[in-house]
Amino acid sequence: MRIRKAALFITLPLLIILSCRKEDPLKVDDIPGLGGDTWVKGPIDQWLYDTLTVPFNIATKYKWDQFELEVNKTIVPPKEEKIIPVMRTVKKMWIDPYIAQAGELFFKKYSPKFFVLAGSASWNLDGSITLGTAEGGRKVVLYLLNDFLNKGMPGYQLKDSSVLKEMAHVIHHEFTHILDQTIRRQIEFDKVTAGFYTSDWINNSDATARNDGFVTAYALSQPGEDFAEMVSMMLIEGKSGFDNIVNGITGTSVRGTTAAEAKAKLRQKETLVVSYFRDSWGIDFYSLQTRVRTAIVNEIY
Amino acid sequence: MKKIFLYILFVGTLFSSCQKNNDTVFDQSPDVRLNDALAKYQSALSGSPAGWNATIRTGNGGVYHFHFRFNESNRVFMFADIDLETATTARESSYRLKALQTPSLIFDTYSYLHMLADPDAGVNGGTYGQGLSSDFEFSLDSLATDSIKLTGRFNGTKLTLVKATQADLDAWQNGQWAKVLAFENVNKIPNYFRRITIAGVTYEVRVNLIARIITFTWVNGSGNLQTFSTEYNYNSTGIAFTTPFVNGSTTVNSLEVDGWDTNNLLLKVKVNGNAATIAGATQPLKIDLTAPSRWWQYAIDNGGLYWISVNGFTINGVEDAFGLKTMGKYYYLIYWPEYDPGNDLLAPVFLNAAGNGLELLYGAAPDTPTFTGDGRAIFTLLGNYGPHPNSGPAALTRAQLLIPQGYYFIQTSATTYDMVSASDAKAWVSWQF
Repeated sequence: MRIRKAALFITLPLLIILSCRKEDPLKVDDIPGLGGDTWVKGPIDQWLYDTLTVPFNIATKYKWDQFELEVNKTIVPPKEEKIIPVMRTVKKMWIDPYIAQAGELFFKKYSPKFFVLAGSASWNLDGSITLGTAEGGRKVVLYLLNDFLNKGMPGYQLKDSSVLKEMAHVIHHEFTHILDQTIRRQIEFDKVTAGFYTSDWINNSDATARNDGFVTAYALSQPGEDFAEMVSMMLIEGKSGFDNIVNGITGTSVRGTTAAEAKAKLRQKETLVVSYFRDSWGIDFYSLQTRVRTAIVNEIY
Repeated sequence: MKKIFLYILFVGTLFSSCQKNNDTVFDQSPDVRLNDALAKYQSALSGSPAGWNATIRTGNGGVYHFHFRFNESNRVFMFADIDLETATTARESSYRLKALQTPSLIFDTYSYLHMLADPDAGVNGGTYGQGLSSDFEFSLDSLATDSIKLTGRFNGTKLTLVKATQADLDAWQNGQWAKVLAFENVNKIPNYFRRITIAGVTYEVRVNLIARIITFTWVNGSGNLQTFSTEYNYNSTGIAFTTPFVNGSTTVNSLEVDGWDTNNLLLKVKVNGNAATIAGATQPLKIDLTAPSRWWQYAIDNGGLYWISVNGFTINGVEDAFGLKTMGKYYYLIYWPEYDPGNDLLAPVFLNAAGNGLELLYGAAPDTPTFTGDGRAIFTLLGNYGPHPNSGPAALTRAQLLIPQGYYFIQTSATTYDMVSASDAKAWVSWQF
């Protein structure tokens, strides 16, 4: 009896173990699309690989993937003929000036590594459109590629420069966020126009924002955006363009800021931007500004 | 007792633990089957040498025809009956098959197909942010030997692919579809009123090219206006009506397009085999005699407000012919009956400098219109408000309003009227309340 019981206790676990060896019916063999989409590479893919991926480790996704964009918006992919001109312009007005000014190592270290391109803008419920977004210092989404034209392209008119400038604006804006998130802007910057930031920025025009000492309406949204808008507007408009913006301010704003006060606030922000670039990154901002503006002028005039 | 439990447990384990059969519904794993499905679709798509005839019905209801030729290296060549260019020039773009929740076909760079979905209404005449509610990313629903059915993943539009013959491809390449698309010229006829005569009856024709709706209006035996509207779509000879048009013994299913006469600005067609033309006319078939006074009185009866037109005058088919929109801060054109006792106001309205309100800078002050017995309203100028410019868009608009022949009014809905020049019907404004 004692032995039988012992035998029983030995066989029971054995049975349980053996009986549970079931074959997995779901053999994971060849998952389609694992490792990313594939397609037969063409000249565009080769150009992007040679120009951006090999030197800077930057990937560009131009083929449609809704999950890289807002999944609830109607957006269309870009026209193929726009991709190389856009990325070439991006290189000229963003990559090249920063490398010339701050060195290749700086650029490779901080640049976003992933561009997503969309053909149309992204329409928001409030009627505004989004022309660019960025995530986590890694990904930049550029919209409205299908309207892109620069000086060298047939049919270019001066009014088309707004799309190109808007694109430069987005990239410099987003890159400023990366710099700002790596080494924070000075506390003083947030204090220059403290109390004026509002989520209602959409109901302001650039002109009314300027009357309160903001460079664009979007700068009204929060100090971080104000900083990015300042840097990007100063870079793409150049020194004289920015001076024109400041000097063009007239009248007193509805919130009671006089033109002189607004001008002083913008100048104060300008000084802080310049010292931020010098103290935090060792970059001569005015020299960088000249390089960026020259590149843009070459694209549009 | 304990022992009994043990034996029961032992026996139970023995039987239950040994169920080793794997009853899967399918022989192969999902991945293998998915790859098989994708391979099948791929070989079907690229395996048709003359390509595929495709028909898509957008969320707006319009039906469009496409011709796709897929190759094996993710490239697709297409024609489309969207406009003259898409019907004549093959455009190359890319596509790929992808396993999303179902096997899917994605047109992944811009092509004619994307024009329908483009959220920029300037491209397709749809709504901003939405376009025509169309798709370019489709789930593959079913595959038969000569047809593939697909459903859009975003707007749920239905796309059907049918294997094309060489003749179908030739019809695109030889410009047969381009000839059909000449129908789009119908809205280039400079007159507001356009007429066609079918089997001895004259009809007024209106075409909405974007929604692809054609409307016939005629006067029946007892002198009343009758209206018939139907959606249409293009086929390789002309336009085909979704609902056949029946008037007495006449039935019309389609219009065969013969071409656009650039000299006389009229469209040549064949109806049931008989040649006919769609051409301009200077008067409505039946004049709505009280429409001018109804239009004028409506604004007074509804809060003493005004009529609005964003585009201003359309002249010879050109919208905003006087360039009102070129004026900075221009918002819309208004006509305000009884702005002051005894006179009306015609003026462009502007956005104010702060951008948060509207303002009137100047305006023309016409007298209360004269409503003639034959259904026209004639405007005469009493004076002006503010320093009215004597040249430019506002001055041209004012001068146009004052033409001595006056205007017919056509009520297009409860709160919209079209005001059409009685001199030649080549100038009109659409007013909305």
